[in-house]
Amino acid sequence: MEKLKDALDFSDFSKTERVCFYIFTVFLLVFPWLGVGSFVKTVMIQFMLFSLFGMGWNTIGGYGGQVELGKAQYVGIGAYTVALMMVWWKVPFWISMPIGVLIALGYSFIIGYPLFRLKGHYFAIATICTSLVLKDIFDNWNLVGAAKGIELPIHEHPDFLYMQFKSDTYYYYFIMGLFYIAIFYMNWFRKSKLGYQLRMIKDDEDAAESLGIDIRWCKIKAYSIASAFVAVGGGFMAVYNLYIDPASVMELSLSIKIALMAMLGGAASLWGPIIGAAFLVPLDRFLGSWLGGHKGLTGIDFMIYAMLIMIVSAYQPKGIWGIIEQFRKRGR
Amino acid sequence: MAFLEVKNIVKDFGGLVANNNVSFEIEKGEIVGLIGPNGAGKTTLFNCIVGYYRPNSGKILFKGKDITGFKSFQTSREGIGRTFQIMKVTTGLTVLENVMVGAFSRTEKRDVARAEAMEIIESLGLTDIKEYHINELPIARQRKVGLARALATKPELLMLDEVASGLNHTETDEMVGLLKRLNTEKGITIFLIEHIMEMVMSVSGRVIVLDSGIKIAEGPPDMIVKNPDVIKAYLGEKYAKSH
Repeated sequence: MEKLKDALDFSDFSKTERVCFYIFTVFLLVFPWLGVGSFVKTVMIQFMLFSLFGMGWNTIGGYGGQVELGKAQYVGIGAYTVALMMVWWKVPFWISMPIGVLIALGYSFIIGYPLFRLKGHYFAIATICTSLVLKDIFDNWNLVGAAKGIELPIHEHPDFLYMQFKSDTYYYYFIMGLFYIAIFYMNWFRKSKLGYQLRMIKDDEDAAESLGIDIRWCKIKAYSIASAFVAVGGGFMAVYNLYIDPASVMELSLSIKIALMAMLGGAASLWGPIIGAAFLVPLDRFLGSWLGGHKGLTGIDFMIYAMLIMIVSAYQPKGIWGIIEQFRKRGR
Repeated sequence: MAFLEVKNIVKDFGGLVANNNVSFEIEKGEIVGLIGPNGAGKTTLFNCIVGYYRPNSGKILFKGKDITGFKSFQTSREGIGRTFQIMKVTTGLTVLENVMVGAFSRTEKRDVARAEAMEIIESLGLTDIKEYHINELPIARQRKVGLARALATKPELLMLDEVASGLNHTETDEMVGLLKRLNTEKGITIFLIEHIMEMVMSVSGRVIVLDSGIKIAEGPPDMIVKNPDVIKAYLGEKYAKSH
């Protein structure tokens, strides 16, 4: 009960910010009825999906301060669990998605245990490696479709059991629901014991340990929460795209985008990943469609991301939210 | 059974022996000072006790329980609090949040942690800076924050590593008063490393002297200042001979 109260309590934000949040919520609710085209709706769905990923990453990457660049493997686990269980055993989405989350949790504990013996850059490299290894396995594993990927059998529209719809509006409200659950969860998380302990670990590991915090266990817990988040998103991707392959759900670039969005918007803040996704998803879409049409320009989008990472880490490690906070402090 | 028993601690860093066969005991309710010249191995000894380092050999018993080889967070849970000689200047958490993290080690509830943290902050006179970050504070206040967050873990034994270094005279006196108050009012046993002689002499009931990793003397402060071995360690052989 107390946890629920914490999750719904935004009172430590300024009034302006709360009003912005309410207006934003109303905007999201009415958005599909504003007569926008399907492309814009897709972008909105992507925005909320990546916000979800970013908020998950924020637990370990933002609050915990660990440079985590392997989230794509858990997107893959979530997506493949939903897709394979449906193809093989016709398991409905509402059963396969939680199972995917459980597998992601279990896998993240197994991976996280040795991973968190490492620190700093070594940890970052190791997360990339584990993700790449899993992608390589799936690329060559014939049972799960290898590099060809798998297609989900199409059901009659609308199918709430298997979450298959012709119209994007259904998906829109579904991801919006997940998006808000994520916001409320993170709002609780940042005020929880684990949230405080992670921030202490980020600040000063030696001091954190002297205050009775089991650093490695805290990091593993946060890492697993992050993994569960992105596995939910991965499950959504499977039913939304109706087709998945390792290149779309396990690619390194996906991991980097997830981390970059949260960092650009502002790591270790509630709104950071959302702000970051609001910037990067449209940019990504625009660059993707524009550069894709020009031969020889493909790949430039990654150069732009690389530059963004460098600019953010050099000039404003707290991201866009950090800039907003600076203004707020000055106004005081 | 002593409150803290340290038996034959040896810690070497690949040839350099920082602690060589150090043994001593601390009784409950005591204030014990640990002094010695630079490089004598004082901080290493602290780190061995709290579990930041693992001693090569020897035993540490706390309240009769063998805590040798425990990690820092485990000794903290057993009831040993510590502060650091060099406090990391951080920008992430406010003073209140720092102390709350300490309080969280004994509770799951945020409201409880906050209330306990506020109580400690008030008793240490840090109320006016509770929303500041550590990097915004002068060194005297930083040290108090370090002390406050260690206190928030409700330690029975508090180990302070040069808690008065960088403080001026009035601040040092204030700190001495504070430590004595903690000792008498809350019954916290205090074990402190200190460079400032006046402070050690005025606050501790007993002093242990370390030189080149070896315990060279132990006793009440007025005996320690007259001990020829201690004078030699601090002022050199020549000075000791001429006196």
